[in-house]
This record gives sequence, structure tokens and C-alpha cells, in this order.
Amino acid sequence: MRTFVVAQRVVKQLLHNPRFLVLSIVGPLVIVYFLKVFFDTLPPTFDVARYAVPVAAFIVHFLAFLLCAIALVQERTAGTLERMFVNGFRRTEIIGGYVLGYLGLATFQAAVVLTEVIWLFELDYEAQTLATLFLVVWLLAIASVMLGIFVSTFARRESQVFPFIPLIALPSVFLSGLLVDVDLLPTWAEWLGHIFPLFYANNVIQEVIQPTGILEDVWGNLVVLAGYGVALLLLASLTLREVE
Amino acid sequence: MYAIEVAGLAKRYGKIEALRGVDLAVPEGVVFGLVGPNGAGKTTLIKTLVGALRPSDGEVRVLGLEHLKDRSELRQCIGYMPQFPALYEDLSARDNIEFFGAPHRAPDLREKVEDVLRLTELTARAKDPVHTLSGGMKRRVSLAGALVHRPKMLFLDEPTAAVDPQLRSRLWETFRKLAKGGVTLFISTHLMDEAMLCNRVAILREGRIIASDTPRRILQKGKTRLLVGRNGEEEEKIIGGHPEDLAAALRSYSLSPEVTAVSVEADSLETVILSLIGKEVA
Repeated sequence: MRTFVVAQRVVKQLLHNPRFLVLSIVGPLVIVYFLKVFFDTLPPTFDVARYAVPVAAFIVHFLAFLLCAIALVQERTAGTLERMFVNGFRRTEIIGGYVLGYLGLATFQAAVVLTEVIWLFELDYEAQTLATLFLVVWLLAIASVMLGIFVSTFARRESQVFPFIPLIALPSVFLSGLLVDVDLLPTWAEWLGHIFPLFYANNVIQEVIQPTGILEDVWGNLVVLAGYGVALLLLASLTLREVE
Repeated sequence: MYAIEVAGLAKRYGKIEALRGVDLAVPEGVVFGLVGPNGAGKTTLIKTLVGALRPSDGEVRVLGLEHLKDRSELRQCIGYMPQFPALYEDLSARDNIEFFGAPHRAPDLREKVEDVLRLTELTARAKDPVHTLSGGMKRRVSLAGALVHRPKMLFLDEPTAAVDPQLRSRLWETFRKLAKGGVTLFISTHLMDEAMLCNRVAILREGRIIASDTPRRILQKGKTRLLVGRNGEEEEKIIGGHPEDLAAALRSYSLSPEVTAVSVEADSLETVILSLIGKEVA
């Protein structure tokens, strides 16, 4: 019950902050447009489809992670986190409330960005493929929210979140198969790529966008992605300290 | 019966000792003032008492409950107003108060929210986002958030710091009203004169309690300047702060007809506290 109270408050806050809301939706749309401008400069033989959806997935992943991590650290710096605990909220309720609250934003982000990518790059996928792409980007967004919550439990100030951003975002760009197939990487780097949620999302995307792609071949990746979120949720509820 | 019992409480942050063996007993139903300069450890002590900080050493019982072991139960009975407002700036005053009251599962929460809005004189601005309110109003919203579930014990960390004298006096009026209703108030302040408004006072200096008593008895630790006009001349005598000291001094004059004027200037509570803190430093 109290989880819903926290979720309701998080949603209320988001709705009362139109600037934040617009930025978190318009921001990714503009970035995707820049991607289109950049891809247009490449030779016609360039395989746009190989990169378009995975990059969109990365943008959603990055923003959902960043916004959630910062929001929770702001709770700590403003003293509202401590106040929530003293007033009787439990850590699982706070984390659960955040997940539910940000779920709506992440879902909307995933839907809007994916729609823009499909339309802008004139990608022609069947309804089933589109549904799978939405599912994978949505699961990635949820895992990113959890990752944001988990990382924020280690930070005392906003400035302490910033070092985590390149640490998590940049290696996942290079090692999760976004830019190059992981098979081409050295074995250790290929294995390192397994720790990033984008790796599993990319595996599913690359399979289902192929005309001959079969979802059943990569369904395990969807399970791992969902499990990734659950595992981070459990970890975060252990690392968020109720008493300092 | 004591609302708070603290024995040998210590809190260390690495090499820094914020609290160094605090012993304290706060009776139920009083306004208890924790007085001390900035950096004395007041906030650390309050945060430890409300269960936001884990002590490095010592024992703490609040309302007969162990402050960490029984914290779920304890949090239903205490209210806490932090030093800084700790509010959601984008939400309205009413939303903030309702949110902080929600964990207490009161079936009549809406009614209680309206009650504290009235008590803190915020009804007219209840719908406004907190970021549009003045600093004083934010403090009142923060106080309302601590009061909404009608706690038995209220912890207020510097509630009157940086507020204008008018609001300060209104806040103290509210505190007295609450105390009359049976609430125990534990209030920290660096404003020494506020100690006079409390039933009991503890003076904290560098993580140690250096005095704990009623304001009147603390006042008696000070000095009194006695000015006696005799035969057209004025004599000055510095005596102790006890009423007995004054009586003895006056007796020595036998108040003969040549004593034409007597005036007494006692140290203010602020002077006494500052001198106690000064002695401790020396």
C-alpha cells in the first residue's frame, strides 16, 4: 500500500515538473533526429537497420538510468529520503514506489523513441517484430531504472553519481554489440559485455530485425533482461541504508 | 517516566567525534531545549534519537522503546522536523503533508492534514507548490509534516533558525500549545535566549552535555550585579545568581534609612550559557 503512496508521489512530482517531462521525452527524440542526420552522410550501402533500433534502445537505457539515479540522490541531498524513513516508509516500499513511478515514464519513452526511429528510418517490420522490439526496449528501460536506483544507493551527492555514468554507459557502447558484433571482440571483452543489460537487448534486436530471425532463438536474452531488473531491485533494497 | 533515556552515547565519523558520551534523561510532557553553538553536535544527537543515525556506542531509549530495534513501532509515535525543510518543492504544501502522514495509516488522514494546516496557519496557501512559499512558510509546512499523525514525541531541529521574530514567537506559541496537549517536545536551538522558553535545558558543547537543568537553575549559575545607593554614593557588588546570595547581600546592608536605592542586574540566560560554554573551552 505504502509502495503505491510513494509511486503516486513520484508520478505527481513528474507531472508537476513539465520542463523535466518535456526534456526527458523531447531530448531522446532530438538525439534520434541527429542520428538520422549523421546516418544520411554515410554511403547508401551502410546498413542503417543494424544500428537504428539498438542506438534508440541505448538512448532510452542511458536516459532512464541517469534520470532515476539523479532523482533518488536528490532525495538524499534534500533530506526527504531520511524523512521518509523516519516517518515510517521502508526501503522496499521506497524502491518499489520509484520503480512503479518511473515505469510510466520509461514505457512512454520506449514507445515514443521506437516510433520515431521506425518512421524516420523508414523501417518496415511486421507487427510481431514491432511488438518484440517494444518489449525489449521496455524491459531495457525497466532494467535501466533499477540500475539507476542501485547506483544511487552508493552516492551521497549528485556529483558522486556522475563518475558512474561513463563507467556504465561508455563500455556498454563498445562491448555490448551496439557498434560491432561481440564475436569480433577478444574473448575477455566478449565476456565482459555480458554484464551490461544492453548486450541482451541488442542480441534480441539483431535477431528479430533479420527477415529470417527467430525470436525463440534468443528468448533467453529476454529472460536475462527481465531477471537483470529483478536482481538489481533486490540488490538495491539491500544496499539502500535506512540508518546511516 | 522518561520520554528519552540516553546513556554513554557516542557517534564517530572516522576520526571526528561528533558525540562523546552523552547522558540525558528527558521527562515526559516537557519542552526540552538542546542548546549549543553551531557544530556542537545537536543535529547528530537528534538524528541519532530519531533512528536516522546508528550510534557508535551507548544506549538510547525513546518512549520506552529501543530506538533502532523497535524503530517500526517508534516511528508511529514520533514526529521529526529536520533542520532544513526536506520537502518536495514541486508539490503543494497539502500534498507534502499528506505524503509524510501516509505511513501512519490514519483513516482520517485528510481531516488531520486540514487540522495541521489550520494549526500552522497554512490553509490559504495549501494548494501552492512549496517552491512558491517563503522560507518561514516552508518551515511551517515542514512542522506540519512532523505533526500530522499527532505524535507523542516531537523532535524539532532548529525550528526557529533564520525566521523573523514574529514567526518565531508564533512557532513557540504552537510548541506551548502542543506541550499543553501532552506532547513531549525535544527542540534544538543555537539561540540561547530560546532556552528560557523551555521547561528543561541541556547545553551541548563539542559533543558533551555540560549542563542539564531547568532554565531558572541554570540562570542561578550566573552572576548578579548589585548596585546600592548609600549616602549619595553608589556601591557595586558582584554576587552569585542564587536568590539566597541576594538575600545575604541585602542583609549585610540591614537596609538602614541611608540606603536610598537598590538595583539588581542579573546575567541573562544567554550570558550564563555562553560563560558555561566558555569555561568548558578554557
